[in-house]
Order: sequence, then structure tokens, then C-alpha cells
Amino acid sequence: MPAFAYHRPASLDEALDLLSRFGEDAKILAGGQSLLPLMALRLSHPANLVDISRVPGLNEIVEDVEGGLAIGATVTHTRAEEAEAVHRLTPLVAAALPLVGHRAIRNRGTVVGSLAHADPAAELPAVALALGARFIAVKSGGQRRVAAADFFSGFLTTDLAPDELLLAVGFPPQKPRTGVSVKEISRRSGDFAIVGLAATVSLDEAGLIASSALSFFGAASTAVRVTEAEEALAGQSPGPEAFEEAARIVSQSLDPPEDANGTTAYRKHVAGVLTRNALADAIDQIGFAA
Amino acid sequence: MREAVAGRYIGQRVRRVEDQRLLTGRGSFVADVEPEGTVHAAFVRSPFANANIVSIDHSVASRAKGVVAIYTGAEICLLTNPFIPFSNLPGQFTPPFWALAVDRVRFVGDPVAVVLAYSRALAEDAAELVEIEYQELTPVVSIDDALRTDSEPIWPAAGSNILYEAADQFGEVDEAFRKADRVFTETFTSHRLSNQPLETRGCVAEVDPESDEVVFHAATQAGHALRWTLAAVTARQSAVKSIRALAGNRGRLKAFARGAKAALAGTGDQLKKADSSGTIHQIRKDPRTLLYLGRSFLGTLSAERFPRVVAKDIGGGFGSKGPVSREDAVILAVAMELNRSVKWIEDRVENLTDGGQARDERLTISFAVQDDGTILGMKANLVMNQGAYPGVPFNCGLFSRIMKVMLPGTYRIDAFRLDTTVVASNKGRYIPYRGPWANETWARERMLDVVARELGMSATQLRLKNMYHPSELPAKMITGPTLDPTMTAATTLQRAIELAEPAAFAAKQEDARSRGRLLGIGFATYHEAAPGPPDYTDAVTPGVGALLAEKSEISLEADGTVTIRTQQMPHGQSHETTYAQVAADQLGVPMEQVRLVWGDTKNTPFGIMGTGGSRGGPIGGGAVQFSSRALRTKILDQAADLLEANVNDLEIVDGNIHVRGVPAKGKSFAEVAAAAASAGGGIGDEPAITAEFTYNGPPQGGWACATHVCWVEIDPDTGFVTIPRYLVVEDCGEMINPAIVEGQVRGGVAQGIGAVLYEKTNYDEFGNLQSSTYMDYLMPTAMEIPEIELHHLETPSEVEANYRGVGEGGAIGAPPALTNAIENALAHLGVRITEQHLPPHRILELTGVIKPNVASR
Amino acid sequence: MNSPSATATQSAMGSLHSPIDGTATIELEVNGVGVTRRVNARLSLADFLRERLDLTGTHLGCEHGVCGACTVVLNDEAVRSCLILAVQADGSRITTIEGLAETDHDGQIISIHPIQRAMQEAHGFQCAFCAPGFLMTALCFLERNPAPTRAQIREEISGNLCRCTGYQSIIAGVETAVEIMAADRREGAQDA
Ligand SMILES: Cc1cc2nc3c(=O)[nH]c(=O)nc-3n(C[C@H](O)[C@H](O)[C@H](O)COP(=O)(O)OP(=O)(O)OC[C@H]3O[C@@H](n4cnc5c(N)ncnc54)[C@H](O)[C@@H]3O)c2cc1C
Ligand code: FES
Ligand code: FES
Repeated sequence: MPAFAYHRPASLDEALDLLSRFGEDAKILAGGQSLLPLMALRLSHPANLVDISRVPGLNEIVEDVEGGLAIGATVTHTRAEEAEAVHRLTPLVAAALPLVGHRAIRNRGTVVGSLAHADPAAELPAVALALGARFIAVKSGGQRRVAAADFFSGFLTTDLAPDELLLAVGFPPQKPRTGVSVKEISRRSGDFAIVGLAATVSLDEAGLIASSALSFFGAASTAVRVTEAEEALAGQSPGPEAFEEAARIVSQSLDPPEDANGTTAYRKHVAGVLTRNALADAIDQIGFAA
Repeated sequence: MREAVAGRYIGQRVRRVEDQRLLTGRGSFVADVEPEGTVHAAFVRSPFANANIVSIDHSVASRAKGVVAIYTGAEICLLTNPFIPFSNLPGQFTPPFWALAVDRVRFVGDPVAVVLAYSRALAEDAAELVEIEYQELTPVVSIDDALRTDSEPIWPAAGSNILYEAADQFGEVDEAFRKADRVFTETFTSHRLSNQPLETRGCVAEVDPESDEVVFHAATQAGHALRWTLAAVTARQSAVKSIRALAGNRGRLKAFARGAKAALAGTGDQLKKADSSGTIHQIRKDPRTLLYLGRSFLGTLSAERFPRVVAKDIGGGFGSKGPVSREDAVILAVAMELNRSVKWIEDRVENLTDGGQARDERLTISFAVQDDGTILGMKANLVMNQGAYPGVPFNCGLFSRIMKVMLPGTYRIDAFRLDTTVVASNKGRYIPYRGPWANETWARERMLDVVARELGMSATQLRLKNMYHPSELPAKMITGPTLDPTMTAATTLQRAIELAEPAAFAAKQEDARSRGRLLGIGFATYHEAAPGPPDYTDAVTPGVGALLAEKSEISLEADGTVTIRTQQMPHGQSHETTYAQVAADQLGVPMEQVRLVWGDTKNTPFGIMGTGGSRGGPIGGGAVQFSSRALRTKILDQAADLLEANVNDLEIVDGNIHVRGVPAKGKSFAEVAAAAASAGGGIGDEPAITAEFTYNGPPQGGWACATHVCWVEIDPDTGFVTIPRYLVVEDCGEMINPAIVEGQVRGGVAQGIGAVLYEKTNYDEFGNLQSSTYMDYLMPTAMEIPEIELHHLETPSEVEANYRGVGEGGAIGAPPALTNAIENALAHLGVRITEQHLPPHRILELTGVIKPNVASR
Repeated sequence: MNSPSATATQSAMGSLHSPIDGTATIELEVNGVGVTRRVNARLSLADFLRERLDLTGTHLGCEHGVCGACTVVLNDEAVRSCLILAVQADGSRITTIEGLAETDHDGQIISIHPIQRAMQEAHGFQCAFCAPGFLMTALCFLERNPAPTRAQIREEISGNLCRCTGYQSIIAGVETAVEIMAADRREGAQDA
């Protein structure tokens, strides 16, 4: 691992001070489960690490009055996975978490760290995009909110400035009559997905599809939603025909990269298959809930 | 701990002796060794597959924090001799090469320089500062690249990228193919794999400035071979100096003569069979070979310092820790030069890049058959991609010869022809991997399924029709080896058919298909020369058997315990347990009284093979059995004196030696030891009685056989293959410890499944390695490996130590069984499986769901 | 030794800073024993345990988080010690394979842990290079779920790679451990 200076601020202000002081030369260290492997392989050479693990107030899962949920910067995957509120308020997040790596990784890795890292094959960025999550970014003397749609700007890059810290991610309340599903295929269990999707479907009172989100990972340089397919679903009666059509649009419109785990054609095809399965799965849940 | 029934340990699931230390974190692996004052090494490696080194500038790196020294190829050339071929087949050229790249790099990861610093991290920091200018050359990556007549030779002295060609013919092949009703031909390709023991390579050269011995701690499967190879490579001095030194040290010469005599004891006849034309060919192609040979030989004889190799616990090998690494030579050479201890523990990226890779072969197979399925003849064309640097001591040449012998398998094939080509390419080093010949089984068993399908027969029917049945034995394979009655392949297949009920499965498969589910079943049967009959090694290459004899030394210690010394290098095979079982049964003592000594070349008998080739049971175990018996005889003689009884009236029960029926008046081993020691004038801490036995397998030989059956279900939408059931019927003769046998078989099967579905050493067309981390080289986890059902046959034989090898078979049987099952599942779609690696996207390409893409090599 | 200027500063607020390639002092509990050491910021917890505390039972198979050989227990959770800096472990409680068996003052084993006993009985491992990681993983997992199904065992150990065994024997070992531990608990309950 290359050498670096290590800083463990004891307050948020101190952390933000360090970030503004070092700018590009600093990296935030949260769970370290993405950053440290890169450093161990000498693919990343940050001069300063700012370990935020002891900053008070970040290790919290907070329900808001409208029924939304905020997850703080140092909440680990495991803690979120075990939090009752996460299951109750954000079932899509709860469904995605067990698919993130293996237990030992989830014991250290953080939800917010995964979002900040923005791996295109990671589950949580796609979940955030599907749910229209809001990101709370802070820096010395300022705080702002960024919508998920504006947050993921490219391969492993986000809208965050070097001196900004992602304080928390907020998920809006789930709409009524909504079902969710996360489907992915990976070469081995626990691996990053070859391709996957986080889906939500909401029905109107007549039982027709009111809105949906089809948010893919492993299918582009960032998590992506296929809005054409979502639009095509709107107003449809939920069933094989509508799902098939959505799957067709998905396969057609995605243009995923190619690697040893899957060709472009393969990822396109499977994205369609997963769309069908995820939609059926999500609708099933509404049935149960009703 | 006593679990034996009626004084017999063999056959019992005795708990492992090793576990007492390994499960409590008290093992000792090479990474745990760190003598006072050790400096740490990091290698600077080539980022290019094929390039000239224009310049190296390490001035900045040398001044970096904590750096002790930096050596480049040019400097290593002054400290070492190149690696030269240990043996050459007629028609083979094996390029001599240096421990570090000199002037040219030949694969991504080729070590170019070594940095020594006070810590590994500091060495890595400095390694990043070494500036090297390269001039890129066109990489030669695939077999086709290498075979192209205009491809630039990677080794100019070779004249081309073809390093070995051979044509072998047995019986009337043309005749068989003329007479046959049908001829079927198919070409099978296997991808590159990597052995991937969980512990990487590593070594610590421990230098005591006062001593003429350097203790070389290493993770090695073959300590003695490593020792002598390193001695030869690091013994760099002028011939004149060597001769002078020798003249002044007659004792050294005599010691060598004694050693050589002992090492070759009883092998003279075998060695005479060896063909030296390979060596002559080698020298003609590259006359410097002669110079290097002479210098290494004289240098070894006269070196001031000599390595002693020590290995304790080893974290797996699967063949990869048998070959001698260039890094080993670098570390030893620089440690001696700096006169201080040097440590190098390979990291995983290095291991995936330069820790050895295997398979990467293409086999075209033709069968000449009658309409009724009778096989008349077989033709095969084998091309092996050896990569850049030849393995030491064994390279593709030797493994191709094993394939030559084994290709006809357990079938009556009276006419066989094999054409062999070995090519060089800009890839990592080809090394043996668990069943280095395994692709002959894969391609043949795959092809038999193809033939069966074409003829409208069942795959098992075709096999049974052509396979040697026990009643036909002994017989001789057309390639030479004798098949004695231990060749029970047909019995394993019959048993497997009973258990698997393929006919019933066919109905189930039909039904599933009609509902859109894809189910398949695949069989594969093989025999393995473990130990193999004496005529087996001669068929491989005359004379090679001479190298394989194995000595077991055993002693009764002064305190009454028993010590066995072996050249074997256990690295997961549980020798401490099984050898103690064998010896305890022979001697009539509790197992706890028996201790195994291994891993230190100073106090173990010489043997070139170490642990490998599924020989630990048959040869090593046999040697222990017979040496124990020799010791028992001596102990009884001594006890007879003590008890004033006739030897023939004595028995040993639970360590008590007494006249039959009179246990109360017995003597313990300690008492006998004390008597022997005083009779021999010993001082108490030397062994009281010693015995030894050198063994090279039973005269009748013996084969390990198995049939694997694999069931698959394939998801037609995603191409994912799951294995609902997997079954092995195996016959390894008498099992010393069934739990250990089962572990070996299951572990091998897991690796075979990994090869087909997950693992690939993946080079792009420029020779860049795409699988240099565990994020990309996908070894199966507990979620991917099914439960593996095992059935043992334990066919008795007149062979006394009827232990047959199980180390490799699992990995040999799984790829054909699994790929056969996959083709069987997809047969109705017209799919033919001709490649071994089948990731999900490839399955969907084959089923026509998605369009195929340019295959990566 | 590093010059004083290259060592950590600890502010009144409890923050910790080490200059580039400098050191910081950490305090933690390893296998029940408190230790205080000055460590380089880039030293991983795994290297700290192995090199500074001579606890070489924790193994390194990949150093990038995939193989699980380096798994140790940190505050009751299984973690990859190759993906944690020693400085991050400041203030925590660590258990390694060496701390699994009960030992006397000289480190001699008095009695091995039921998981160790179970693995021995089931012939869980071969080269056993992977064993420390599996044992620490199983320890935490059985703590959370003392009566797992076989499928759950498979899933929970799937973050650890073993190249030798094909896993079946390790799964059997965990199942044996479940039985032994359940029996021990029953005995414990009866004694109480
Ligand atoms: C073997 C293995 C398998 C894995 N498998 C998966 C998988 O299947 N799916 C998956 O999604 N992930 C997987 N991961 C990654 C894991 O989920 C990580 O936990 C996660 O990606 C990053 O979280 P972290 O807290 O560890 O972040 P770190 O590694 O600490 O940081 C990651 C990046 O985010 C930045 N960062 C972190 N926190 C903040 C913040 N609050 N504000 C601003 N920037 C911040 C850091 O500077 C760094 O650049 C795997 C990891 C490993 C080692
Ligand atoms: S060494 Fe830590 S996971 Fe492999
Ligand atoms: S027993 Fe060797 S890696 Fe698991």
C-alpha cells in the first residue's frame, strides 16, 4: 500500500476543515472496502486519508415525519440490513443489501461509501436512482442536496467536489400500492453483478401501473434508468404482455460494456430477462400486501 | 485419539495429526519466517507482453527511503547461471533463460529488476520509481499466432515459435481409418488456468555470514529438486576458479560422488535407456547451452556456499510449487551477494501473473469406428502453448509424452497416431497443474460422447462396448503400458450406471424439455497411472522412471518413539497422519508414537519428485510400509535377545513386544531402544535402530480409476449452469484413510468445475492479462460447488501396498463429465461443445439466444 | 526508527493525525490482552497482527478482500484484516485464531474451541491455509445463528475461498460444530 497521511477527525467540522485544506490530495475513508483494495493494488495513491468513522452523529438511521428514511455516512451495510426501519420504509434497499458482497465486507463497508464510490456494477447506486434518493453533501461553510439523477456523473465519479463529504442519503417515502424487486446475475454468489436491476412498480387505484422505476447496474458506466420502458409501462395493466414489452425496450435501449463476464449482447439480453422477472416479482408483492 | 479397531489404523477415518497445529494458528508457513535483519524484496515487472528493454534507470529508486539495493537483469547475469533444460526430448528445444529479463521481456509480469528494502512496502514504493524504457514488439499470444510462419521467434535461437514437434504412431492407423464405416473428427480447445493455491509462492534466504550453508525457506513441493536447481543456477564462477576450488577440496568431490551414487542407486539400467539425442539437438541449436552446462556443473561442485532447503507447512500447490521459480534464484543470489537474509512473499497479483499457468491446449481427435460402435483407430493432433519461459524441471515436452501414452484411455484401440507441437508465446509460464495430462481425458471423453450421438448410441453403451473389461486383463495399451487387473475403469462405469440410472434420467429430461427446462447428464471415465506399471514410465520417455524411486528412512528413537523421514513434501495431503497410520500398523504401536520428518533437505532422503503425480500413497506410502517392516524385523531381533526368546514367537500389541500369549512379560519400544543403544555404544540421543527402504512401485504396477457422473440444469434465459447432483465412483485400491481420500477427490472435482464454469487466465490479443486479481480470476465458492457423492470400490490386488493415487483424478474427471452433461442438456438444440470454458454468455451464444462475439483467446 | 516529527499528534478532541508515512500510537485488545503500539499509518491490521504481535495464524491470501483468509473478529464481527488499517482498529477488540482455544499463561492450549474440535472431526481442511479465516467466520456466524440450515451455512461461508477441499468437509465441520455447541449448551443448562 502506498504511504499516506492519516487523519481521524473527532468532529464534523474538523473533517470538513481537513477536506478543504487538502482538496484533491485527500480521500475520505469510510469502511475502506472499496478504497483500501485499490490502494493495496497500488491503483490509488491518495496523499491523505480522512477517516470519518469516529465523527459523531454519522452512524444513524433516521425516520422522517413523512415516512422517508435517511442513512448516515458511517452506517454499515450490515447495520442497515438489520435495521427494522429499513425493511419497513425502504424495502428496495433492504432487498439489495444482502446482495452486496459477503458478510465480512458488509460488516465494514458503508451504504453511503458505496454511493460515493459509484461503482457502476454496485447495487446501491441503482437503488438510489430507482427511489429518487437525495444526497446531502456538506463542506466547510455549506450544505447542499443533490438528486440521485444528478449525482452519478460517470464511471466511479459523482457530483461531489473533493472538499465535500456525503453526510447522508435520504430515501423518500414509498408510494402506496408499490412493489419492489432487485434482480441480478453474478458469476459467483456475492460478486459484483454482471447485470442487475432495482425495480419499483406502483399501481393506481384501478390496478393499472401508475409509475415504475427500472434502474440498472452493470449495464453502463453508471447506474441507469430506462425511462422509455418505464413510460411504456405507465397506464398498462400489469401482466406478462406489458412486462414483455418493457423487457424488449430495455434490451434494445441499453448498450452495456463488454468484459470477460459478459458480452454486450449477453448483458442486453439478460437485462430484458431480469426486467420481466423483477416486474412480476414486484407486482406479486403488491398482491400480497393488498 | 485412538480410533483404530483391533490394532489397525489403515482404513480408518483417523483424525489428522496436522490439525492440532493448523487449526489453532500454530502452523509455520514461509511467510511466518523472518530472521533478524531480513530485507524484503519486490520485483519490478514488465507491463508489456513482448518488448525490448532499451534502458533501465534506477538512480532515483536507489535513493528512495529504506532501499538497500536494486539489481537488474544485467547484474543478475553476473551472479547466476541461466536456467538450462534439465532434460530434452529428441527434437525439442528448450531455451536457456536468466532469472531476470535481460534485454527483452517476454510476458506481462516478466521480472525485470528486484528492489531490496527494509520493508516490503518500502521496496514496492521504490519499485514504482524504477524507470524503464521499452520498445514494444508484436506480441505472440494464441496458438494460431505462434504457428503463423511469419511470427517473430520469441526465442531467436529456436528459429521459430515451435519448440517441439513429434509424431508417434502405434499400429496400422491408415488401415484402421480406411476400413472404418465412419470417421468423426472434432477440435477441442482448452483455456489457460492457474493452479492458485491459497498460499502464494515465497521464500526466505536465511544467510548466516559465518556459515557456508544458506537456509532457503520456501513453499515448495519438491525441496531436493529446488535445492539442486538453485545450487546450479546460483553457482556462478569461472570454470577455472571452479576447477581450482575443487582441486583444493577433494572431500567435496567425494561427497558428491557418494550422493550421486545414492541418488541413482538401482537406476542405472533405466538411465541407459535414455535418449541423448535431445540434448545434442539442444546444443546444436544453442551452443551456449554447453558453456552454461559446464559452468553450472563445475560451479555446483565447487560452490563456497550451498543452499539447504527447508519447508514446513505449505498452503497448497496443485503442481505450482514443484517447478523452480526464477524469483527463487534471484532471492538466493542476491542474499548471498549482500550476505544478509532476504525475504520475498509473492502477492496475489504476481501469483496470477507469474505463479504458473496451465492447460491452454488444442486437441483435434478423430475416431475411426464401425457402425456398431467398435472403435478401430484414433488420431490426435495436440498443440500446447507453453508461454514464454519453459517450466523447470519439467515443461510441456514431458507432459505431451504423458498425453501420448494416455490418450487411448481405457479403450481397446489398436491403432493410434499422435502429432504433437509445443509452441512458445508471450504468456506466463506453463506448469503442471493437477493432472498435467488431463486434457487427453477431457478431449477423448468429450469426443466419445460426440461419436455416440452421431451413431445414435448412448454414451455409456459406446464406452462399455470399447472398454477393457476385467476379464480381458492383463492387456497392453497400444501405447505400451500394461493394464493389470487393477484397471477397473469398466467396473467403475458399470457401478456408476447402476447408481445414476441414465435411462430413467432420459425420460425425465424429455419431460423437462417439454416444459422449457434444460437438464443434462454426462459421464467420464479414466484411468490414471498412479503408480502405473513399470512399462508406463518407459512409454512416457525411456529412462524417466529412474528419477522416481523413493526412499523412506525410519528409526526407533532412544525414547521408544518412531521417526519416519520422507522426501515427500506434504501440502494438504495429510502425510503426517497417513504415514503414521501405515507405520503404526506395521510396527504395532499407537500412532501417536510415530512422527514424520519432512521438508528439510538436510535430514530427509533425496528424491526429485517431492509430492506430486499422485505418488504420495502408492510410492511414498509403500516405501513407509516396507521400511517400517524392516524396522520391525530389527526391533524384534533386538527384543528376542532381551527376552531370550525365539523371534518367531514374538508379537507386538499396542507397543508391547512379547512372546505370543504372555503380554505381561513384554518389553516396550523404549526398553528395546535402550538395549539397542547400549549394545551399539550410543549416547542416547541418536536413533537406536534404523532401517530404510527404496521403492519405485510394485512390479505389477497399478492404476487408479474412476467414473464421474454430472447432472446439470441450464437456465435457458441466462445460460447459468447449476449442478444438482455429482457422483464419483472411484477405485484407488485400499484406502489408508477414507476421509482423506474423499477430501482429495472432492477438492479435485471442485477445481474441475471451476475450470469449466468460472476460472480463466484471460489474455487479450495484446497479451495483457485481464485476470490478475481475485475479482477477475473466479475460483468457485461454497455456493458454486455441489455436494459430491462418493462411492469407493477398493478392488483388492495381489500388490502388497495396494494404495493408488487420488491426488489428481478429481480434477481430471470433472471437466469431461461436466461438459458432456452440458452438451447433453443442449443436444436437441444442435449444440456441440468443443471448448472447455463455458461462462453463461457462451452458453447463450451456443444455444443461439444471442449472437456470438469474437472469442477472446 | 522514525523521527519524532513523523509521529502522530493526538488532539484534545480525540482526533488522530499521522503525517505522510508517519506513525501513530494505537491501543487495542487482542485475544483478551491490551496492547499499545506505535504503527505506521499504512500498516494493515493483518500485517500488524502478523508482524508486530507475531500472531501469524492470520493468513494473507490476496490482500484485496476476496479470499477471506485474513478474517478476524473485530468487536464481535467478522472482518477482513487486510482491508482495515491498524490505525482504524484503534480502540477495538480483536480475536484471532490464536485466541480461539483456551490457553494457560504460557500460551499452552488447555482446551480447543468446539469449532476447532468439529473441524478436526469432520476432516474440514487440507492445507488449512484458509482455515483461520473460515473458523473466525464460522465463530461469528454461529453466534448470530446457532442453528443454521445447510443452505445458510453455505451462504455464510461463501465469502471465504478454499482451494483444496471443495467445501463439503468444511460445511460438515460447521454442522458438527453446531451439534457440539448445542450439546454443550444443553449440558450448561443442566448444570445451572
Ligand atoms: C470482495 C469485495 C466484494 C464486494 N462486492 C460488492 C458487491 O457485490 N456489491 C457492491 O455494491 N459492493 C461490493 N463491494 C464494495 C463494498 O460494498 C464497499 O463497502 C462499498 O463499495 C464502499 O463502502 P466503504 O464504506 O467501504 O467505502 P470506502 O472504501 O471507505 O470509500 C469508497 C470511496 O467512497 C469515498 N467515500 C466514502 N464515504 C464517503 C463520504 N461519506 N463522502 C464522500 N466520499 C466518501 C471514498 O473517498 C472512496 O473514494 C465489495 C467489496 C469487496 C472488497
Ligand atoms: S487476504 Fe484479506 S481477503 Fe484475502
Ligand atoms: S484447505 Fe487448503 S485452501 Fe482450504
